[in-house]
Order: sequence, then C-alpha cells, then structure tokens
Amino acid sequence: MRSHRLTTPPPAAGQVLDAQLSLLDRQVLDRTGVPVTTVDDIEVSDVPEGAIPVDAAPPVITAIVTGPVLATRIFGGRLPESRYIRIPWSDVSSVETVVRLGVDGEALDASWTERWVRDHIIRRIPGGRHDPE
Amino acid sequence: MILSDLMGSRVEGSDGERLGTLIDVRFVIDGNPRQLLADARLEGIVVSPRSRASYLGYDRKDMNAPALIAHFLRRRHRGTFFVLWADIERVERGGVRLRSEFTAYDPRWSARVTG
Repeated sequence: MRSHRLTTPPPAAGQVLDAQLSLLDRQVLDRTGVPVTTVDDIEVSDVPEGAIPVDAAPPVITAIVTGPVLATRIFGGRLPESRYIRIPWSDVSSVETVVRLGVDGEALDASWTERWVRDHIIRRIPGGRHDPE
Repeated sequence: MILSDLMGSRVEGSDGERLGTLIDVRFVIDGNPRQLLADARLEGIVVSPRSRASYLGYDRKDMNAPALIAHFLRRRHRGTFFVLWADIERVERGGVRLRSEFTAYDPRWSARVTG
C-alpha cells in the first residue's frame, strides 16, 4: 500500500464526511426521530465550466437527493430531473450514523407517498382514523 | 451537479495520462454557518488507480480485521490517494483533470487531526 508514504493532508476545521462512506444510503430522520427517507444522492453547487481558476471557491452541498434510483443504480443512467426530490442542506441538523433534520418530515416533499397512502387508503379502512387501542 | 455524475469518473493528469477512478468525494462541514449546520464544502476527491469499487471504509480508518478481507481490499486499492479541490483543473461529465503540480495526500482519515 502506497498511502503510508503519502503526505498528510492539512487539518480540517470541521467534521469530515466522505460521501460514499458517511452520507450515501444513510437513513434520514426528521426532528422528532421519524424516518423520512434515505440519502440516494447528493447535490452540490455548480462547478465552473472549463478550466477552474486556482482560487475558485469549492462547491458546497446544496441538497440531499432522494428518488426511485434502484434502476439507475443497477443499469446506470440518470433519472429525469422531475423524479428527484430534494431536501435542502439547510434543513440538516447533524450527520452521524443517521442524517438528522431540524424540520418535521410532514412538511417535506420526500414523504408525500406515505401521506398520500395514509390519506387516501388507510383513512378509508374502518378503524384507520385513530390509534390502535 | 448530482454527485453520482461524478462518482466513477476517470481521473487524469494535466497531460491526459490516466491516474485512476474517482471513488469518493470528501466534504468538510466548515463553510458558511447556517441556522442548523454549516455549509459542507467539497474538500477533495479520493482516487483509486486500480478499482472502481468502494473500499468499504478500510482506506479511511486503520481497520485490519477480518485480516483476509483487509488484506484483499488493501491490495485492490493500493496506490489510492486524496487530492484537494485546489488541485483540480477541470470537472466534466465522466472525467476529472488534475493540475500538473497536484499533491497526492494520504486518503486515510486517521492521517489527519480533525478539530
């Protein structure tokens, strides 16, 4: 292994995250600890086209992206833009074993299917409008 | 830009020589402070000259067990290095080009002190 001969990178001032290792496929919990979705992809701010100036500011994470990515993971390619659902990075409160949000999951687009099923199907089942007794 | 557009990209030197494959992107949460968490700035990329697959974390931490798997993964990923954002000259779909005088850093997390 060559890495033991490589230079040590400069120290970081904050938490270090490797996208593949620390973010992708992690579960996302809302403010109250309710699971919302998983991190399927990460959106970063645009990189300058062509040659990047030496002093260009690095891109930052703008959003956690979720969507039906199973097929693209297996076969490659990319989903149409409309199928991606984004949770802005400003809603993220911490990244540990799970990604925690500082907002309620109810307000997020990412959980619309669950809300739809609850409101249109579960609600119509007798006894489906109240907690189990 | 979506990160999966970048993962698995070919990484080449300034003369077009292939250096490896981009296997991970490293962020540091030390950007502009926000109400909950500061911005996560792209610090650099992890490049593996031999494998497109993930290193399962063995490259970032000094894990060595189970020994057989650790040995196999270290062999497959030998030569893996980390490059800072400042050393990236160009990012295009499917390819990243580094500057001519780029520095290859140790990709392990344990190689650095985080504050």
